[in-house]
Amino acid sequence: MEQIKATDVRIFPHRRLKPETTEKILNALLDLEGVLRFLVNGESLPKTVGYGPARGTSVDHPDRKIITVKGKEVELLVSVGEIIVTIRLENLEEFVEKTKAILEETLDFGFDVQVGIFTRQQATVSDNLKVAYGIEEDFDPRLIGLVDPKDNSNETVKLIR
Amino acid sequence: MDPEFEMKKIRSINDEDIVRVLGHRNPGESYKSVHPPLDEMDFDEDMMKELVEPIPGAKEGGRTRYIQFTDSVYNAPAHPYDRARTYMSRFRGVDTGTLSGRQVIEIRELDLEKISKELLETEFFDPAKCGLRGATVHGHSLRLDENGLMFDALQRYVYNEETGRVSYVKDQVGRPLDTPVDVGEPLDEDHLKEITTIYRSDNVSMREDKEALEAVLTIHQTRTDGGFGLDVFKDDLKAKLGDDK
Repeated sequence: MEQIKATDVRIFPHRRLKPETTEKILNALLDLEGVLRFLVNGESLPKTVGYGPARGTSVDHPDRKIITVKGKEVELLVSVGEIIVTIRLENLEEFVEKTKAILEETLDFGFDVQVGIFTRQQATVSDNLKVAYGIEEDFDPRLIGLVDPKDNSNETVKLIR
Repeated sequence: MDPEFEMKKIRSINDEDIVRVLGHRNPGESYKSVHPPLDEMDFDEDMMKELVEPIPGAKEGGRTRYIQFTDSVYNAPAHPYDRARTYMSRFRGVDTGTLSGRQVIEIRELDLEKISKELLETEFFDPAKCGLRGATVHGHSLRLDENGLMFDALQRYVYNEETGRVSYVKDQVGRPLDTPVDVGEPLDEDHLKEITTIYRSDNVSMREDKEALEAVLTIHQTRTDGGFGLDVFKDDLKAKLGDDK
């Protein structure tokens, strides 16, 4: 596999985003040059109530919606708090500049844009165990850092193009 | 906290709606009891029982039930410790529990509804920054959402963008309600900043915040002194070493 140079850009809005806003931002960012992958992070939203007398009742959270990114439907599993974009090193400066412009246009509150490494760089023991125990068939090195150790990548990763 | 101080009433909620949001009994249903009314019970002679007037709920022998609030760190009007002190100074016969993100009050059901009404209708409560949560309380330290609502994994309350009002669609523990309960408009953010009881300053780094540094240093100093027993156990220590002569 060909090696490329890439880094992460973290977008940290000062409020949690609505699904509509997330959709708008993701679509705008996907048009920019050199983006490789997105990690949409946030507080996870349960499907059913986990504790108390109402245990098992469905939650129907309005933020747990299906959004359309570049024609593909993506189910949001979290209340979006941050977006981490992996970007090719040669497009970095232009990307940060344009991202800031997009965010200023869509958000009416503050945000931070940071450049650095915000995802894991190497496969962990959990990653390897998933393959060894047959939880995942194959291990794609491009997905390192995207998937939570407890999750199955089929459920949380969506290929858009 | 001062029990003499009258809190400003800023909204009104039906008694029935409060009962529904609490979710302990259906509106119109009678109170379940755990023991017969006190008047009908035989007791051994006890001075204390004569001295203390029981609260109405105890007289009737009603169940003990609870109401629990979560208060956002983003300038909610009241905060757990504050609530505990207020409850203790204002109400009789309460048992209150303080946790980092939530504050529960337990009392006989009959009295609970009266207290809940007072807590929900006055400036003690803000529909956006306070949440009525029996279970799954997480959210007090998270960023607010775009409408200024505190995070709630069960989304018990929703913000109507057209009317600008917040209403509860589920009861305390997350069971859906038949009809939403309107709790009014969120308070103005600037007003909240004025009345909030939380101590915080935003976006100031630790090293630039003189007051915080001072507090941390004081704690550090006293802990160290105390740990070594300096000044505190000096005489005692000398005596043990036989140095006190």
